[in-house]
Amino acid sequence: MTDIRDGNGLAAAEKLYTQYGSRARELKASGKKVIGYLSALGPVEIMTAAGVLPIRLKGNVSEAISKGDAYMETIVCPFVRNVFDLAVKGKYDFLDGMVLPHQCDSIDRTNETWSYALKLPYWHFLNVPHVTDDPSIAFMKEILRIFIKTLEKFTGKAITDQAIADAVKAHNNNRKLMRELYDLRKSNLPLISGSEMMKVLVAAMSIPVEESSALIEAVTKEVKERKPAAANPKAKRIMLIGDQIDDVAVIEAIESTGAYLVMDDLSTGSKMYWQDVDATADPVQGIAERYLRKLKIPTTFVGSADTYQGILEERFGHMKKYVNEFKVDGAILFIYKYCDPYGFEVPAIKSYVEAAGAPVLYLEDEYSTSSLARVKTRIEAFLEMIA
Amino acid sequence: MDYFAGVDIGSTMTKVVIVSDRIEVSLIGPTGPEHRKLANRVMEEALNKACLTFENLTYIVATGYGRINVPFADRQITEITCHAKGLHSLLPSVKTVVDIGGQDSKGIKVVNGKVMNFVMNDKCAAGTGRFLEIIADSLGVPLEKIGEISLTAEKIAAVSSTCTVFAEQEIISRLASGEPIANLLAGIHDAVATRVCSLVKKLNVEADIAVTGGGAKNIGLVKALESKFGRALLVPPEPLITGALGAALMGKDIFAKYMAEGQKPTRSVNKLEEATFFE
Amino acid sequence: MAEEKKGRAVATSTAAKIPKFVRGNLSATLKAKEEGKKVAAAFIADGQDEIMRAMDIVPAWGESFSGVCAAKRDAEKYLQKAESDNFSRSLCTYATCNIGFDMMREELGGATPEGAPWGGMGRPDMMLGNGQLLCDPRFKWPQATQHYQQDVPVFVTNMYYPPWDPNADHHEQEAIYVKYATEELRETVKFCEKITGKKMDWDRLAATVELSDKTWDLFIDTYELRKHIPTPMDTGDAMNTMVPLTFNLGTQEAYDFYVDLNAELRQKIADGVGVANPERYRIIWAAGLPSWFALGDFQYFNGKGVVFPVEVTYRGCEKIERLDLPKTNDPLEHIAWRWVRYWTHWYDAAKKRPGSTPKVERIIEYIEDYKCDGAVFHSAFSCRSWHAGIMQQAATLKKVYKDIPILIMEGDIVDISSYNEADTHNRIDAFIETLAAYKKRQG
Repeated sequence: MTDIRDGNGLAAAEKLYTQYGSRARELKASGKKVIGYLSALGPVEIMTAAGVLPIRLKGNVSEAISKGDAYMETIVCPFVRNVFDLAVKGKYDFLDGMVLPHQCDSIDRTNETWSYALKLPYWHFLNVPHVTDDPSIAFMKEILRIFIKTLEKFTGKAITDQAIADAVKAHNNNRKLMRELYDLRKSNLPLISGSEMMKVLVAAMSIPVEESSALIEAVTKEVKERKPAAANPKAKRIMLIGDQIDDVAVIEAIESTGAYLVMDDLSTGSKMYWQDVDATADPVQGIAERYLRKLKIPTTFVGSADTYQGILEERFGHMKKYVNEFKVDGAILFIYKYCDPYGFEVPAIKSYVEAAGAPVLYLEDEYSTSSLARVKTRIEAFLEMIA
Repeated sequence: MDYFAGVDIGSTMTKVVIVSDRIEVSLIGPTGPEHRKLANRVMEEALNKACLTFENLTYIVATGYGRINVPFADRQITEITCHAKGLHSLLPSVKTVVDIGGQDSKGIKVVNGKVMNFVMNDKCAAGTGRFLEIIADSLGVPLEKIGEISLTAEKIAAVSSTCTVFAEQEIISRLASGEPIANLLAGIHDAVATRVCSLVKKLNVEADIAVTGGGAKNIGLVKALESKFGRALLVPPEPLITGALGAALMGKDIFAKYMAEGQKPTRSVNKLEEATFFE
Repeated sequence: MAEEKKGRAVATSTAAKIPKFVRGNLSATLKAKEEGKKVAAAFIADGQDEIMRAMDIVPAWGESFSGVCAAKRDAEKYLQKAESDNFSRSLCTYATCNIGFDMMREELGGATPEGAPWGGMGRPDMMLGNGQLLCDPRFKWPQATQHYQQDVPVFVTNMYYPPWDPNADHHEQEAIYVKYATEELRETVKFCEKITGKKMDWDRLAATVELSDKTWDLFIDTYELRKHIPTPMDTGDAMNTMVPLTFNLGTQEAYDFYVDLNAELRQKIADGVGVANPERYRIIWAAGLPSWFALGDFQYFNGKGVVFPVEVTYRGCEKIERLDLPKTNDPLEHIAWRWVRYWTHWYDAAKKRPGSTPKVERIIEYIEDYKCDGAVFHSAFSCRSWHAGIMQQAATLKKVYKDIPILIMEGDIVDISSYNEADTHNRIDAFIETLAAYKKRQG
């Protein structure tokens, strides 16, 4: 594995980012089982407790889809298509299995396309509900128990409640460390740039949780020792909102203009790290509650408040907090084409975040760098506009 | 006298404007595959025409999609900001700018020459000059004539496809079945205007509305847009140069701001040389 | 959703009654207020039909209204309205068409926008969504609409069925899913009681559910008459005759409609009248919602001697006895079992054929039963829920069943801008040539 010593956290992150999955490949060679998963709904605690390595799958924005289109429709989410294409091309040949959590149509409608094309030894579709009432929590616990059973059968090893509780602790600690690193972006100038942060986020989701925690600690220590340079008082502080952005291309487009990316509401970023799992007597209860009620994603319907404004607070209140805590000057809402869950929220998010004080640039794009020049022009014009 | 130049490298045309306390010169040339050489040439011509030398220029701003390829520019600013600025100097009453370029179209909300909001079309060609160019080509009509011809239509032949390839097929089969060219052109202009209008309506459109870019030179398109927006649109005397003009004026503002702060900016390049590139 | 224009739109005279059903459903939403009834924006095949009918709640079917707008080729103005507030053109166009219409109506203070196809649809008192296993817009669309109708409450329920997994025993999981769906349906009832201020009449609900079951059975019995050669009715008609089952389930009118259709089909069979004469090829419409603006394409097929005696789309029911539903006195639990088994009852067959899936198994069953020569799928670009995964179905069908001619058509449900008639007809012609070649090879 990459040696994480003092002072080389960022270099280690860079390596894990550039050679995505390299650690999983090493561990696989040493006999560990590797399970890939999609989306922020992947219950990593349970996979860690099972003794397998969970790795969040990412695509490659610079790689054109070449084989995947023979199996999967082009109306599917461009991110999902891209990951699928990589998988078909063997980029993830170290996987022993995959978990597809039921997030959106693009995932659940293609479950069979994935499983039949990849033919992995282990496959599981985790049927996460879209609503959060009490029957849904009870149901979520049931399907998590089914998931646990299938993993036990696959690994041949029982997953004890104690092991789950320990994994919960390890992942909560990991989240806490990542939040502390995020704190270093609150200063003006942020101690860690947006693209460095993205590399850490991506690296962190590809390695065992203890290694991920060590990596984050090393990065935190390293950037804390940086001599704070004079901040550019004119530089705008930007927040990026979207689902799975897992590449620095867009972030470099933002930061090359002199702006700072200081916060995100991404499924690879703050969404993964802001909410802990409560330690509950039945550890599965806490996991069910975290993924269903605490995690704010557009595929989980929230609407229990009495007024529309109240519902907006339930759905997007965390973004208002981010705008204030991270002193956000402007937000970029970056949505993939063909994304119904996010696409239907655009007017609501835009008006809510703007009311919170940050003008919003809405961009709809493919999961590809092919249109980056156009995206860059819009980002630059937006920054000129809010200057 | 201080002179400021704006260079706008669009997808099909390169535009240069030099201003002092007035517009000294404006020049339009085609954009070639080698932007940088061409920027030099158009700039040189503009300087000649204005009886100026490169050294006379105080500050140069590049804009347009090729803005990063102008080696002698001191600053790059997007065409959105520049269009707003340039248009405001020409038509101060305008609050909404509709720019129809060769490769994209955009809408800009302007207050006091500043961008308040903007939209750009997605990467599909419908709603751009390129779409009209392709159709003109497949009908065998010169591009500069299609607007006028469309105005002679007896009725608008509705074109339902907005995909360029499909629309082209649709047009050809309708032509074969006897639909007059004028009606088809009216239909195509209507389709482009519809796309552009629905794009710009994402902004809270306020009058006056102006049209700029190559599309503004097409009378058929302007008329079609007027019917979609339900009002007369303003067209600047030379709709191609608003971006370059805005760039020059932005340069002037930037320079004034530097001076006010007591620092005189130095030009980043002091000779109009053809740069050599290693990429 | 019949098209009004062009000569023969439907082959059966019973199907010609469908526009009356659709108009009736639309106008009911507009008249509800004066009749003191509440209107619920609702979705088809969400398991909530009987609850609404038993509580005199008038369903406002957004999918139906968007389909009408599409069939009248008059959806563009609504699509553009939605687009003007940043709803992408790549989103579900049933939803964006409706949202655009709703936005216009709100700007008019609740009055119906002028020129609305078939008089438009009334403003709802509530929106009922469903987080299903198959369609995100069913809960995102009501949420998005609420941005413009902020006083209209949204309730989203959740009904799943066990996901297909050849290595899992779905029988073990069914009870969990039924329990969850039953509880969710109970939450729906509670919400409807709150909005209407009336209590559920459980006996009435039970009677409504019984009527639905009878309608399901009659629907299948009627559709099975289409097995006859030549088939007396094809998918072109079925895209109309699905209306009572899909939009009026739990009403006597829906049941009676199929009584009439059944009689007409029997008569046609007795008279030897088929959709196409001669009938050259029989094709299954294997998946996909149709392009409502291009229903005439079915007649294009028919004109070439190609008929569709069966379709998967909108065959949203099954013979009740085939589902082997456990006895229960709770009508909600009955709906839940019916819902879960509707999906899972193909699982066992799929397990028996290695490499197959329930969706493919269903297609194979229909191909055999209805003696089909080929399969047509339709892929609508704005709808992932019914159309993502079609390529997989087509490939699996060829692999586990046999090499039969397959056509995947491309279009949309509502948005006409990507549709190309000449291109579509070209593809159809090429497909028919393939059918001929296959038949020749078979001898």
